[in-house]
Amino acid sequence: MTNQVYTKRSRALVRRETTAAYLFLLPSLFFFVVFVIYPMIMCIYTSFFDSTMGREDIFIGFTNYVNLFQDEIFLGALKNTTIIVVVSVPAVCAFSLWVASVIYDMKGAACSAFRCIFYLPVVTGSVAVTVVWKWMYNNYYGILNYVGTKTGILDTNINWLGDSRFALWCIILILFTTSVGQPIVLYVSALGNVDNSLVEAAQVDGATRFQLFWKIKWPQIMPTTLYILVITTINSFQCFALIQLLTSGGPQHSTDTIMYYIYYMAFTLYKYGYANAMGVILAIIIAVLSAIQFKLAQSNT
Amino acid sequence: MKKLLALLLVGAMSLGLVACGGSNTSEPAAEASSVAVETEAATTAGTEAEAEITGENPDITAEISLWTYPVGDWGKEDAVKELIAGFNEVYPNITVDVQILDYAEGDKTVTAAIESGNAPDLIFEGPERLVANWGAKGLMVDLSDIWSTDVSAGIYDSIEAACKGTDGKYYEYPVCMTAHCMAINRDLFEAAGALQYIDEETRTWSTEDFQKAVEALVAYGHTNAGAVFCRDQGGDQGTRALVNNLYGGTFTNAEHTEYTANSEENIKALELLKSMEGINFDASLVGGDEIKLFSQGVLGMAFCWNVGAEKGEDGQSAQFDILPMAFPSDGTPALQGGIWGFGIFDNKDANRIEAAKVFIQYMTQDDVDYAKAVETSTYWPVREISIYEGDEIMTEYGKFMQYMGDYYQVVPGWAEARTAWWNMLQKVGGGTDVKTAVEEFVTTANAAAAAATAQ
Repeated sequence: MTNQVYTKRSRALVRRETTAAYLFLLPSLFFFVVFVIYPMIMCIYTSFFDSTMGREDIFIGFTNYVNLFQDEIFLGALKNTTIIVVVSVPAVCAFSLWVASVIYDMKGAACSAFRCIFYLPVVTGSVAVTVVWKWMYNNYYGILNYVGTKTGILDTNINWLGDSRFALWCIILILFTTSVGQPIVLYVSALGNVDNSLVEAAQVDGATRFQLFWKIKWPQIMPTTLYILVITTINSFQCFALIQLLTSGGPQHSTDTIMYYIYYMAFTLYKYGYANAMGVILAIIIAVLSAIQFKLAQSNT
Repeated sequence: MKKLLALLLVGAMSLGLVACGGSNTSEPAAEASSVAVETEAATTAGTEAEAEITGENPDITAEISLWTYPVGDWGKEDAVKELIAGFNEVYPNITVDVQILDYAEGDKTVTAAIESGNAPDLIFEGPERLVANWGAKGLMVDLSDIWSTDVSAGIYDSIEAACKGTDGKYYEYPVCMTAHCMAINRDLFEAAGALQYIDEETRTWSTEDFQKAVEALVAYGHTNAGAVFCRDQGGDQGTRALVNNLYGGTFTNAEHTEYTANSEENIKALELLKSMEGINFDASLVGGDEIKLFSQGVLGMAFCWNVGAEKGEDGQSAQFDILPMAFPSDGTPALQGGIWGFGIFDNKDANRIEAAKVFIQYMTQDDVDYAKAVETSTYWPVREISIYEGDEIMTEYGKFMQYMGDYYQVVPGWAEARTAWWNMLQKVGGGTDVKTAVEEFVTTANAAAAAATAQ
């Protein structure tokens, strides 16, 4: 009898706690559904329509998707986006890990100072960062051309953002500088959490510095690496503000990215269905890549 | 199961991040639309057809929104609020909420507002947006009733034509206009011995004189004589006017139904510009950048110019004598016109539509109030009215009004054609054969026009 009463009370307590937990989740769930799930569903739904401003949508099945892969500008944007991701993600990860390793060994104040310096572009508004870079790249009086021509490295000024040979790489460089801040801070923190007893044990066993890093530290910071990889990949895929503010996708579509092309289709040409089809394709690519990164990271740990 | 959920979450997050608006989707509402109606009539929403303008009803009560693109001081909140204060002295029960738009983000803001059902009541811009874009899409109210007033009869015919849609309805009521011109650094021209190639009295020059002037600047050591800016559409009226004027080409046919940029004259003009030392096709600049570089003395001439630029911050900061000029042409120059005025979005609320029409009437029908509205724009009135007597700058720029050319920006599919234009210039600058690039432009632009017409 006593046990039965206790069980009932226990169940009631569990139910009350569960209810409370769900109630706490409710506000977040509401915003998640309204601002993520609902737009996501509408994005997929609209991608099957010829949808534009000022008239009823027309159902066209997979036509938007078929047209996408015959659209040279979209394919070019996909190629540019891929280049940005392929170059930017490994570079950001490798550079931030290297910097973090170096500044982790520094004394407290120096380490904090470097963390602040590298984090500064992250907290600075993208418009402000872009204005500075625009000035540096300026064809007529930019500092890059000034230093280049004064030192004899350049014969004449280069129109960094106006030349299709250089524009994409200029964007990647800015993206790189604005992307490394957070990974560096995360890696410094992750290195601080590495189990020191394992490091000391390896040193006693005669492990080299390389072995120490690769066999002891690297596996322990893998969750951080995975997070950085996923976040950097998503950020690189969604490179938009830099393009809009600096090149508008040009010259000759050399800096078009999928995100910028989506914006152009939706807000300049009002081709909502087509833009949403691109959004779906981009989301699938990001989801697949993130899944692969999860899988690879899992097998390495 | 956890893995599956994690993957689904990644997919959901990334899809959510890239999801963009559709006509039926939950695109975020425009940032500052605070439309509210205080009258009972609001609940019995009417349609455009039901709206009847009274213009003599000071008791009308409504809260309407006005969004303005930065046309002179119509882009300054204080200046617009001052005009509204004058309006509220006559119509105290009509509250007007103002939002200032900019050209970089304005279209996006308006699009988001339209799609979320929060379009402003009144909008202040040109026929390329009000007539050719939103009007053609059936989003605007027909303003024929205001156009039927006696005052409206005095509006210049070319302006009236630009404010009328292909369906015969008026989607814009004009306030001001200007003729976009170009400008040269007079001090530099004098130093380089190039002043001889321009007619300072009429502010005109021939195509040959233009070539000689650029050669003189280059010989003088000023290798950046001018830039055919083409990063995007900002200030693109300048590059279109330059190309069209050199050999008398046109941008569209007279009926404004198809593009004619692939004419021999235009191809010849582009080939000339491409071949000229001192003229750079610069894909890193927009019109605003070019104005800055010109005002700083870096460029010897600006193709994106008008009286607003001279009176603006950049023009005022220039340390040299700015000489506004017509575009070089072997005949009479045809300058690109700029027309700005009011349009009303059909928000299906007869009371707000009527209040918006009352606002337009107040700003445009009475000469005193109209003069204030025009002066705020820093441009010229669209009907005969004396405003700028004794103003030297306005008198100087007034010379160009006689060269006002065809207002062709009302061709259907204009937005896509504009993009194709600067993309074409980038290709020419990048080395693509002019004829090929121009043909591609015309194909794209005409396809856009046909698609828009069919819609």
